[in-house]
This record gives sequence, structure tokens and C-alpha cells, in this order.
Amino acid sequence: MDIQRWIDALLTRLVDTWRVFVLELRRIFRDSGVMLIFFVAGLAYPVIYNLIYIRNVVENVEVAVVDMSSSPASREFVYRFDAAPEVTVTHTCATLEEAQALLKAQRVHGIIYIPSDYESVLMSGMETAHISLYCDMSSFLYMKNVLTAASMLMLDYMNHIQIDRYEAMNIGGETGWALVQSVPFRAVSLFNPTGGYCAFLVPPILVLIVHQTLFFGINMPQGTAREENKEVFILPGRRRRASVFRLLIGRGAAYFVIYMAIASFALILVPILFGLPHLAMVGDLLRFMVPLLLSTIYFSIFFASFQKERETGMVTMLFTSLIFFFASGISWPWESMNPFWKYLGYLLPSTWGMHGYVHLQTMGATLETTAREYHVLWVLTLVYFSMCALLYAYKAWRMDTAARREQAHRRMQSKQFIEQHISKSRL
Amino acid sequence: MLLRRPVYIFSTYFVMIFSCVFFLTLFKTGSPEKMPIAVVDLDHSSISRRVVHELNATQAVDIVAVTDTYEDARKLMQQGRVYAFVVVPDRFYADLASFKRPEVVFYTNNAYTIGANTASKQLLTIMTLASAAFQREVLRKKGLPDYMIMKRLQPIAIEEHFVGNPSSNYLVYLVGILLPGILGLIVLMITIYSIGSELKWKTSRDWLRAAQGSFTRAMVGKLLPHLILYCTLGITMNIVMVRMMHFPINGSFLWLNVGMVAYILAMQSIAVTFVGIIPILRVALSAGALYGMLAFSLSGFTFPKMGMLPFVQALTNIFPLRHYYLVYVNEVLFGNPITQSLPSVAVLIAFTGLQMLIMRRLYRALLYQYFPKD
Repeated sequence: MDIQRWIDALLTRLVDTWRVFVLELRRIFRDSGVMLIFFVAGLAYPVIYNLIYIRNVVENVEVAVVDMSSSPASREFVYRFDAAPEVTVTHTCATLEEAQALLKAQRVHGIIYIPSDYESVLMSGMETAHISLYCDMSSFLYMKNVLTAASMLMLDYMNHIQIDRYEAMNIGGETGWALVQSVPFRAVSLFNPTGGYCAFLVPPILVLIVHQTLFFGINMPQGTAREENKEVFILPGRRRRASVFRLLIGRGAAYFVIYMAIASFALILVPILFGLPHLAMVGDLLRFMVPLLLSTIYFSIFFASFQKERETGMVTMLFTSLIFFFASGISWPWESMNPFWKYLGYLLPSTWGMHGYVHLQTMGATLETTAREYHVLWVLTLVYFSMCALLYAYKAWRMDTAARREQAHRRMQSKQFIEQHISKSRL
Repeated sequence: MLLRRPVYIFSTYFVMIFSCVFFLTLFKTGSPEKMPIAVVDLDHSSISRRVVHELNATQAVDIVAVTDTYEDARKLMQQGRVYAFVVVPDRFYADLASFKRPEVVFYTNNAYTIGANTASKQLLTIMTLASAAFQREVLRKKGLPDYMIMKRLQPIAIEEHFVGNPSSNYLVYLVGILLPGILGLIVLMITIYSIGSELKWKTSRDWLRAAQGSFTRAMVGKLLPHLILYCTLGITMNIVMVRMMHFPINGSFLWLNVGMVAYILAMQSIAVTFVGIIPILRVALSAGALYGMLAFSLSGFTFPKMGMLPFVQALTNIFPLRHYYLVYVNEVLFGNPITQSLPSVAVLIAFTGLQMLIMRRLYRALLYQYFPKD
């Protein structure tokens, strides 16, 4: 008897969940705005961002040379500087002013100034020769390229000049090298070896695209439902009773099913198509996507619940894409970030999603190594799900009490009406 | 209208103030420092322990772990705990003592470019200095005076000049364009919303009636209060950055703000064009959002335009943020005469003409309301 009732209750719940799921799917596919966000933005953005950064590295930044020394030594320096992949010498100027004018007109993005005493100082072997470098600061990458090329060349030069000088002092060969560089060192870039901008920026952006399209896509139908006075917080077709879990699970499942497909495209297929780093195993990625999508879905459902009109979410929240990106600590490292924003970033599914995804794809970590991000995403799923559940329960309770109050009020009115009638008829 | 709907005031003020506070306080320092790294000590000698100690003492890096194997350090890096690690090889001490030049390798993680760059730059400096210190010891023993040793150790020095941004402050690159970018995004979205919602709620005829049937008067009446609001915000933002945060300004502050006003006008015009082409609120908003977000990448202030494909380079021109960025570079960094900023300002003003092309279509949409509500 008891078991029968349990089974019945379970069946009702399953059927209700299924109904919510189907209803939400129908709502999504009927809404052109949501379809635009999911299937145009969700699928086109990953491709567009790849196209923007497809060249990956900036090479051959234009540099002007002012060679006041015009000696064999300075010419060799210029020649070898030009040979560096990061820069290319496009202008040779007679004066620094001329070069600076070129820089200000953005014709070149760096200047190398070699003073007239360059060679004599080097030859004397007693002084330091100074080379001046002017960097265009309009883009971080210009500065980085010019600086890297110059300092690498300088280090190499320094060692060779020192070796020459020791040889002049009759300290030659290995002993000289042992003096100049007692501990030779080498930098190896383990992941993203070319230091490319695309391979650094686009993988986390892909996660952010998934996160944000889901966020705005969930916002819209919730707003529509509120606008049309449909019941968002209670089971469709029933006036009362909170059935929070059926609603949340059914609704979440609808988005989850659609987004497993979209995210698989954006996070698994696109990196392969565009030659982004894709070191992760597909199984690991799929398993990682589960908490990533679930936490994002409940995060979005929670915030969408405050939405009263369908379009306002898009208008007011669009800027969060930038905030979420910078709060993640992907571009500006966590260690140099204001702690307040760092901890705020910890609360966002996008933060952990981006880090976890970069660890898996770019750095070839396994899901075990990425356990921290993976588990935090599950915790966030739980947190946002509970917050949604509380909110839904509260809203349903309020509607319930409102309905009950109205009923009581109506009963009261009819009672009064009857009483009046009775009293009238008695009269 | 402007005051009746909270979405206008909320979005504009709240979003701008929040973004300003966020981006101006996000960075603890103007450039990153003290990155966490690990050391793999394969030598276990007194000298390798001293290396660890000395590295930590430099304050340039933060050694968070000393591991016994390469695999452990690599795992730490894969977990995102360190940006780089240094491998002190086996027999390091013995080789060093016998002048065999043991090689030290440091591994960096360019998946986190800024962290890795900072760490590797600092490690490079430390190693160069260490090498120089070793030479100095040897030369001292040979009896050379200190002043000669120093010159000998550094035959070439590079003096860096960061034109227009002497402290190479990261905020100046980023925030001076990001914040106007966000403002532009709001201008775009709110303008689309304010016109599109008249269509959605079928109030556009009342609006035209209030303007005595004149389309121009209706548009100016609606958009002018917005314009004043945005310009106040934009100029206040510039004042905060230049006067309060002490961003360098080498050119004319006035022209920077002229650029700002032209930029806002251009964004308004583009918004009107969007609603004109698609007079359906939700679709126009979605399309506007798709376009608006791309401005941040395509204006070329992080990844320069020269690194993009030719057709993408051409595309950068359809984003007013790109042209505002050129004005910003001119006035803030280079301090060129205003004639250099003029072409960009002219392009921004040309954008204002864009809305003329769809005026008729928009007018009819407002009058006849023959487009579907959503």
C-alpha cells in the first residue's frame, strides 16, 4: 500500500519534470531572440574570435633606427636587431627628432638610437655604451616586441663582448665562458610555446561565450514569462503548491541538453578546426562541461528570476562580459589583483570554467589535476541550485498566501453578501 | 520618459560607476610583480638551497614550492599554482666548483601570458645579476678596482623610454579605452531600447503626436537628453582618469573630450540605424549586442590591428571605438598637434550621418507599426 503510494508520487514527479522540460524547450525554440543568442551568437562568436586573432603572434613591428655612430659595430647591431622575428627596421633616420616624428605619426612603433661614441666606447673596453630605446605605448604588444628583441640581442652581445675582452686579457676558451656565464640558463615555454596571443586569449573567451550566451539566453524567456504574467515560479497548470525541484530540474535539463551540443562545438570542435591548443582528452572535457554548464545554468536562472521585462537583461547586463573576463584572473594575474575583486570572481562559474578549460586544453592537464576547478564548479552548482530553490519556494509561498488571502477575502465578501441578503429578507 | 523608466538611469549610472570602480581598483599595482614560481632542486646541496634562498630574497618572485622532481613542478604548473619553475640540475654544485658550467633551465607557462612574462623577465634579470656577481668576485681576486669591474661587466646598456606613458602603467593602456567602450555599449543598447520599446508597446504614434508629427523633432527630443547624460558621464570619466588618477596627458584634454562627444554621437547614430533596419526590439537588441561586443577586440587596443587578417583590418573601421582610440593615442600618449586627431574625429562625425539613410524606413515603422511585436 505504502509502496504503491511512493511509486505513484515518484511517477507524478517524473511526469511533472518531463512536462516542465518539454514546455521549456518549446519556449526556447519558439523565441526568435533566444534562438538568435543560442544558435547565432553561440555558434558564430567562437568562429569570429578565431578569425580576429588567427595570426596568433605580432611579428615585424616597424622600428626606426638612428645610427649616429655609423660604424661597423653599430651597423652590425642594427643588422642583427633587424633579424629578430619580433621587429623589422623600416626607416633609417638622420636625427632623433625625425624618428620621433615617425613614431608619433604611428609609422613606426619603436626607435633605436645609437649614440655617436658607441664604437669608441666599446673599443675602449672600459666604459658602458648606451643605446636608447623608444617604445610606442599605444599597444602592449608593440612595447613587448621591441623590448624583447632589444634585450635578447643585448644579452647575447654582452656575453660576446665580454668573451672578447677576456681573450684580450689572455683568459680564453672555456675559462672565459666560465667567467662570463658561470651558470648558463635557458627559458623554455612549456605551454603555448610560441607565446601566441590567440592561443592565450581565445580558449578562455570560448568558455566566456558559452557562459554569457547561456546567461542572456536564460534571461530572455524568463522575462517574457513574467511580462505575460505566466507563472514562472509554480508548476504550469496548477494554481498552488510549490514544486521547486520539479521546476528547476526540468527547466535546467532543457538548457543543459541544448548546451551540451553548443558547448561541444565551441569547446571541443572549434579548437581543432582553428588549430588552437587541444591537448585534453574528449572524455575529460565532456565530464568537465557537466558542472560548468549546470553551475552556469542555475547561476543564470537565479539572476533571471529578478527580471521583470524581457529585454532589460540584455541592456543592463551586457557589460558583465568584460567584468567577468577581467575578474577571472586569466589576463591580469590573481596575485596582482585587488583581493576584493579576486574573491568576487571566485563566485562566478565563468572564472573556474575558464581556468579549468585552459588547464585541460592548453596545458594538457588531466581532470584529476584539474580537480580543484572541477570540484568548485560542482560546489557552485549546488550553491546556485539551492539559492534558486529557496527563491522559488519563497515566491511560490507568496503567491500561495496571496491566493489564499484572496480566497478568504472572497469568502468573506460572499458571506457578508449572504448575511446582508438574509438580513434583508428577514426584514 | 528618461526618468519614468528605471532601466535608463539604472543602466547608465550604475553600470558606469560600477565599471569605473571595478577597473580603476582592479589592479593592485600598475604592473604585475612577485609571481609565484617553483624550484626543482635536483642537487640537494648547500649551494642549491642557497639559490632558493637568494631567489626568495630578491622580492621579484615568490617561491611557493620546492619540489624533488620535474613532474611535481609540472603538475603544479598545470594546476595553475605557479607561472614558472626553475630546475637546478643534478651535480649543480660539483659542476659549478669545477667550472663545468651547469645549465639552469626555467620553464614558463605562456597560457597565462602576463604572469609568465613577468616571472621569466624577473628570473632573467636575477640570473644575469648572479652571473655578474660571480664575475665580480673573480675579477676582484685578480686585483681590478671596482669601478673598472662594473664597466667591464656591462659593456652595453639599454635605456628604455616609454613614450607618453613613462611608468608603463597598464591602466593607461587598458582603462582609458575599456571604459569609453563600455559607455559606448550602453549608449548603443539604451538608444535601441528607447526607440524599440516605443514600437514594442505601440506607443510610437503618441510619441510622434507629442512631437507634433515631426519625425526630426521626435528624434531630437528623445535623444538630446540622452546625449547630455552620456556626455556628462564620458567627460566626468575622462576627468577622473586624467585629473584624479593622474593618467599622463600630453596633448589637448579638450580635444580628447571633443573626441568623446563625437564618439557618443556616432554610437547613437549607429543605434538608430540598427532599429531602423530591424524595427523589432528584441532582434535589434540582440544584433546590437553582437556588434557592440566585437568593438573591444576590433578596436585594436590590445591586439594591434597590424596583426589581423587584411579583411579584418578593414572591418575595424566600422567601430567608432577604433576611431576614439586613435584620438586617445594622439592626445594622451603622443601629444601631436590636433590636426592629427582631426581625421578620426571627422570619421566619427561622418558616422552621425548614417542614421539619415534609414530615416524614412524608421519613420514609417513608427507611424504604421506594421512590424511584428517580437
